[in-house]
Amino acid sequence: MGNPDQPALPPDAAISIALDRMWERHRSQILERVAVLEAAALAVAANQLSASDREAAHAAAHKLAGTLGMFNLPRGTDVAREIELMYFKESALLAASGQQLAAMAAELRTMIEDRKSNR
Amino acid sequence: MGRKILIIDDEDDIREVASLSLETVAGWEVIKASSGAQGVARAAEHHPDAILLDVMMPGMDGPATFHELRKNPATAAIPVLLLTAKVQGTDQRRFADLGVEAVLFKPFDPLSLSAQISRALGWK
Repeated sequence: MGNPDQPALPPDAAISIALDRMWERHRSQILERVAVLEAAALAVAANQLSASDREAAHAAAHKLAGTLGMFNLPRGTDVAREIELMYFKESALLAASGQQLAAMAAELRTMIEDRKSNR
Repeated sequence: MGRKILIIDDEDDIREVASLSLETVAGWEVIKASSGAQGVARAAEHHPDAILLDVMMPGMDGPATFHELRKNPATAAIPVLLLTAKVQGTDQRRFADLGVEAVLFKPFDPLSLSAQISRALGWK
């Protein structure tokens, strides 16, 4: 509850503070989605990507694309969207290397782990 | 004007941020549902002014949920806005053809989500 003696924060400041709190609550779940992408990249590199691995990677990338930009990580949304397309299109997946997919997942992990508060 | 919005999305973080945004920026009342089936029930129970509906959900997805809402006379007239992270043109056309009022895209800006909804629905 807010302190009645303090003036209410403007909406942008209130949202920024609340987003930082939400980020801390959801960060581990977001990193789990990156772990799915890392595992799928390893499977691609070993030529052992199953249909369910691919579906899981596509879903994880899709969720990351929809989420990261809300938390002030627009580059994260762009990278996740690119990964999503790779797991969606057979031709894109055939053209991609496990190394490339691993590098993109690593970029996501770094920006998520390094995200600074908006304040 | 105070509005009541139902958010149907299986992702906790999206529900929380959308809810925070609509409550904090616009002062609207928000009801949340984490699945299509739960959303259909909440819509009939609460009669929101609009529904923000995720497309990709396990079980009953967004389009199937939309059809259920339209089948029930109690919810048939409630405006529905699809919320999607899909940006491919073919998907956008498919969603527009469903007959929803608008398609909004993830990630959304928490500061402008209520303005996007108001604009899409012609609310002052």
